[in-house]
Amino acid sequence: MASLTNRPELLKDGKRLDGRAFNELRPIKIEAGILKNADGSAYLEWGNNKVLAAIYGPKEAVPKHFADPAKAIIKCRYSMAPFSGLSDHGRSGPNRRATEISKVTKEVFENVVLLNEFPGGEIDIFIEILQSDGGTRAAGITAASVALANAGIHMRDIVYAVSAGRIGEHVVLDVNMIEDNYSDADMPMAISPRNGDVLLLQMDGGFTREQLNEAMGMVLEAGKTISKVQREALQKLYEVGE
Amino acid sequence: MGVLETLRGNYAKELLDKGIREDMRGMHDFRKIDVKRGVIEHAEGSAQVDIGNTRVLAGIKLMVDEPMPDTPDQGNLVMNAELLPMASADYETGPPSPESIELARVVDRGIRAGPSIDLPSLLIEEGKCWTVFVDVYVLNYAGNLFDASQMAAMAALLDTKIPKYEDGNAIREESSGKLKVDKIVASTTFGKIGSALLLDMNKYEESVAECRLTIATDGSSVRAMQKGLSGSFSVREVDEMAGISLEKYKELKDIIESTGE
Amino acid sequence: MREILFPGDVISDRPIRMPNATIANGVTVATTLAMKESGKDHIVPLTGPWVPKAGDPVIGIVSATRGNMSEVDLSFFGRGLILYSKDSRDSKFAPGAAVEATVKNVENRKDVILAFPTPLEGGIIVNVKPTKVPRIIGKANTMIDQIAKLTRCKIAVGRNGMIWIDGGNVALAIAAITKVEREAHTHGLTDRIREMLEKGFIE
Repeated sequence: MASLTNRPELLKDGKRLDGRAFNELRPIKIEAGILKNADGSAYLEWGNNKVLAAIYGPKEAVPKHFADPAKAIIKCRYSMAPFSGLSDHGRSGPNRRATEISKVTKEVFENVVLLNEFPGGEIDIFIEILQSDGGTRAAGITAASVALANAGIHMRDIVYAVSAGRIGEHVVLDVNMIEDNYSDADMPMAISPRNGDVLLLQMDGGFTREQLNEAMGMVLEAGKTISKVQREALQKLYEVGE
Repeated sequence: MGVLETLRGNYAKELLDKGIREDMRGMHDFRKIDVKRGVIEHAEGSAQVDIGNTRVLAGIKLMVDEPMPDTPDQGNLVMNAELLPMASADYETGPPSPESIELARVVDRGIRAGPSIDLPSLLIEEGKCWTVFVDVYVLNYAGNLFDASQMAAMAALLDTKIPKYEDGNAIREESSGKLKVDKIVASTTFGKIGSALLLDMNKYEESVAECRLTIATDGSSVRAMQKGLSGSFSVREVDEMAGISLEKYKELKDIIESTGE
Repeated sequence: MREILFPGDVISDRPIRMPNATIANGVTVATTLAMKESGKDHIVPLTGPWVPKAGDPVIGIVSATRGNMSEVDLSFFGRGLILYSKDSRDSKFAPGAAVEATVKNVENRKDVILAFPTPLEGGIIVNVKPTKVPRIIGKANTMIDQIAKLTRCKIAVGRNGMIWIDGGNVALAIAAITKVEREAHTHGLTDRIREMLEKGFIE
């Protein structure tokens, strides 16, 4: 949340700066299986976000004392390229923010992956933000889900994630960079669409209870669109052609 | 390198003894090269280069900075390379490896020695200059990162726009023109396996290479070199490779200059 | 009719124990991308790691030998095990040796006990996606026989996705196998592979 003193107008003629309605997603494109070495991968463009996700595994856990004899462990690395932002050159490698995102992302996938099927194993999830425009953790989780499905890691669902926020009195879906910098609330969520379970939930700013419910409703509704794009990316790999 | 790579590397070596390359290429042939510019709009310049299955992305950021005390009348060039853990099962997370540092330094040396970039032209006013950050991201490893990274960095520099400068700040929404690239430098990396000298090694060939030589040229002169690995070359071999590298320049320059459209 | 199932898709509204599926809230859901023929109960995974079962032929590389046991790398999160009988005079495999064997049984999902290990001398090993192995072999071995014949290579295919190739035109055999792996789901593949092999052309 930035200071409100030099906040730009985020709404114009009842619409958002990029012309979207309050409950409208930015355009999302996903391509699965694009990296040759990884066991699964996905490239995602979500508005101006550009994200690569790659999966290695299941493989033998290293170092060995990290292994859990009863189930697989998941390692997750979310990182942002130093050229990804609109401002100055960023720092290379994961900082404190990225380390936290890596942790909560790992916990999302620990919920849906059938870890018991790979005792003593390890699954690596790598998320690289090549270009950032707000909502990168949601974009990263959405891409990593497709990469996991591409790798054929057994899991209960294809998770999606998106954020909701608030601009003045309006609850809005899929907060972009400028909205994120100046909005009154931001709440990224990851959802298991099969049953609507909440797997990631973070929030800062302010929501009344009614606004919170409206925001969660928007996130659930948006799942229909996001899940469809995820599935189409995977299905495309298996279309029968010449 | 895993056992499978070594097995396949040994096979590549056996074939090379008969004068044949594992993937049937000529000794001095590159794999298919693709260059795409402008892939990251938020960066001041960017390019993605594929050589066979090797994929490298270079992104460039310009920042208003102060000149270095020992070069008060010019801008700065800062080169960094990351071997992303997603690029290979053998790469690990953690601090930069000696391999990634060598990669960045070799690419840096070729571009500086060109010189490709006129660093004095990056001085804005006394005490203010542009620092050009070049970040090379290895996305998929399949051999010959040196040439792929050099081409990506070079193509990204050709794509770079300088932001407008105003009261000590970079205004990125407006451009004050393209970064001036004086000279294109092209790099060729040779490997020695047995008695064979080959260009653009794939990952299996690299797994058995005794030594490696990267030569960057501007078409008429050799501009930078780096030998790697513990084997040795004869002086005659170095001369032979320099000749091939100079001959390859035109072909590589055309690829670097292509905008990928 | 064939349809693609995604992880989380309901296969049956009753709980059924089957591979590549899990039971959640009383219904059976797919856990991997899979193909389902209408009317049939089981699903065929389109991608994913090898799930070892007794009788699977495998290729692997011995990673360690100590006491009466060799560990074998099968490109899999667990390990293969060759157990030597105590009084056996058979020579033991040295680390780095390539072997062909059959899965005898699987313990705790990850310890794959191997039977009939035989050494593979020379050659190279390539890895393919285990789910593509049936296509690489082909109906009644048609695909793999065709590749072996037209490249004059000896080829042994492991269900774990490791393929051993020796002699003949190895580069062409690798190119053909990679093409089958990539285009496994398309029609007319056997003919296209024959064409490629006869031309000797590598894409």
